[in-house]
Amino acid sequence: MMKFLLLAFRNVFRNRRRTVMTLLMVGGGVAGLLLVGGFFAFMFRGLRESTIRNGLGHIQIFNAEHFRRDEVHVLDTGISDWQRVAANVRSADHVRGVAPRIEFYGMLSNGVKSSVFMGTAVDPEAERAMNFSPRIASGRDLAESTSGEIEALVGTGVARSMSVKAGDGLTILSVTADGALNGIDVQIVGIVNTGFKDLDDRYLRITLPSAQRLLQSNRVTNLVVGLDKTENTDAVAAAFTPRLRGLSQEMTMKKWIELAAYYKQVRTLFSGIFLFLGIIVFFMVLMASVNTLLMAMMERTREIGTMLAMGTPRPWIVALFMLEATITGILGAAVGLIGGNLIGVALNASGLHLPPPPGLSTEMAFRVLHVPALMIGASSLVVVSLALASILPAVRASRLQIAEALAHV
Amino acid sequence: MKRTDALVNVEEVSRRFALDHSAVTALDCLTLAIDRGEFLAISGPSGSGKSTLLNLIGCIDKPTSGRILIEGVDTSRLSSSQTSVLRREKIGFVFQTFNLIPVFTAAENVEYPLLVQGFSNADRRRRVAEALDNVGLSARANHRPDLLSGGERQRVAIARAIVHRPALVLADEPTANLDTRNATQLIDLMRDLNRTLGLTFIFSTHDQRLLEHTPRIVRLTDGRIESDTLSEISSHDEVLASSVS
Repeated sequence: MMKFLLLAFRNVFRNRRRTVMTLLMVGGGVAGLLLVGGFFAFMFRGLRESTIRNGLGHIQIFNAEHFRRDEVHVLDTGISDWQRVAANVRSADHVRGVAPRIEFYGMLSNGVKSSVFMGTAVDPEAERAMNFSPRIASGRDLAESTSGEIEALVGTGVARSMSVKAGDGLTILSVTADGALNGIDVQIVGIVNTGFKDLDDRYLRITLPSAQRLLQSNRVTNLVVGLDKTENTDAVAAAFTPRLRGLSQEMTMKKWIELAAYYKQVRTLFSGIFLFLGIIVFFMVLMASVNTLLMAMMERTREIGTMLAMGTPRPWIVALFMLEATITGILGAAVGLIGGNLIGVALNASGLHLPPPPGLSTEMAFRVLHVPALMIGASSLVVVSLALASILPAVRASRLQIAEALAHV
Repeated sequence: MKRTDALVNVEEVSRRFALDHSAVTALDCLTLAIDRGEFLAISGPSGSGKSTLLNLIGCIDKPTSGRILIEGVDTSRLSSSQTSVLRREKIGFVFQTFNLIPVFTAAENVEYPLLVQGFSNADRRRRVAEALDNVGLSARANHRPDLLSGGERQRVAIARAIVHRPALVLADEPTANLDTRNATQLIDLMRDLNRTLGLTFIFSTHDQRLLEHTPRIVRLTDGRIESDTLSEISSHDEVLASSVS
């Protein structure tokens, strides 16, 4: 069998120029898939981590009622005994921190103009402990709640709309847990750029005690749990289940992927684009290879006739052609892996940046991740393409009439 | 004229090829018996049916009518795979254009029929060395065909044809692409192998110099046997002497 393999291997390099062209074509396909797929993987990872760090966290714990009905008043379905719940989950493995949050909304005013806001109240220290700090464009982050001025962060859109900057004051109005209207004055300590324009136009962030004072409630909307690694999410969620039983309120939890609707949409879209690219590469390799292999078959007609005359079983001829195509595919994949990874390294070293995508306000780094699964997938794709491409020429070769093949010029 | 002890029996064989609006009869009700150990030339002008007859005896084509028996086996009744087995075990082929596998060395080309038949490594090595020695090419074993002369290539082709000790070696115009010296050496080699190893050789040629040294000559004209003659020449030395003169 080794001799047969040797024959196939030598046949691959029989017409070197044609083989080099085929290898470049196959390698180009693999390299292209690696670069595009590697960039998409980088983008997915970046989007995932920024989504988590922008406040989503890895796991969020809610009062189960939160998903069963709409709130009549703010914090109606909030967590009342949240300190105990937080203590229960904080001791689990891989948990980096637990941060209580209140989600609320209302109006803010500079005395001349009013605007709607979507507010989040946080424990700044707990957030910082998990690296969940907002991206400050100017000023500073919230300090731990102290007596005196109530601090606030606003989005770049809010600051522009209300004509305020760090150090200025605003009044925020909201409906309390009892349904009454309440207002507090806040001092803006920082301007935040979330990267999402729509969010920046409504963004407000204050400390938890300030919000509880505004909303007249000790409850929180949810507890956001940060982990050491995103990959541990499933294991930690499983460990949380027993820890959330037997509390005064029925608790439920959501993993980040269940809450990251935008991330899922982006991933689905780009996965579709990548699949489309994969199909194009598959057919490109398939069609070009069929042509090349048919030419090779025509050139070797007399030789195949000789092999058949000497009693070579016809399936051997099929196997020989498929083996040659598979070897070409493997070599082409190797060329593509080497080329694609080298280009990826060069691109990563170049520090290239892309303009901000639609809906985002910051430019995006262009990086290519070296993903082993992608390398295996892209290589397998071209090897399978070539093996499939060889079927037609191989079957044709095996069905040659010996006498005609021997007379072929 | 069927003979039960003959190696090859060609019985009333016809081969017609269909063209667009007509048919060409390449062989017309031809009957021939060839014994084991014979050294037989099929001669005749171009288009007389020499190659067609060799193709039919070599089981790489099928007769339109009639039948061919090899060692008593009716080849027309065999399936494609059975014919394939018969060819690889019983027949060796030598072609006018050598038809060596260009990416294999001389030794690997000679080894190929053994590979197809599933011989062991050790057996293959021994037989290849022996066959190359028989044709005087041991020193060129590791050369690829493009580094060999025409005569050497044809000798490799002969080594490949005899390496598995077939019952029958078929050679289609084996000297057509060789100069006189190489052609004479080749026919001498074939005759020598015929005598020393007892191999049956059937070859087509219209080279008069070679025919003069062939014991049995079947002349074909228009697909029919014009003559089937036995000459006195059978000695290796006589062939050699005649070639040199």
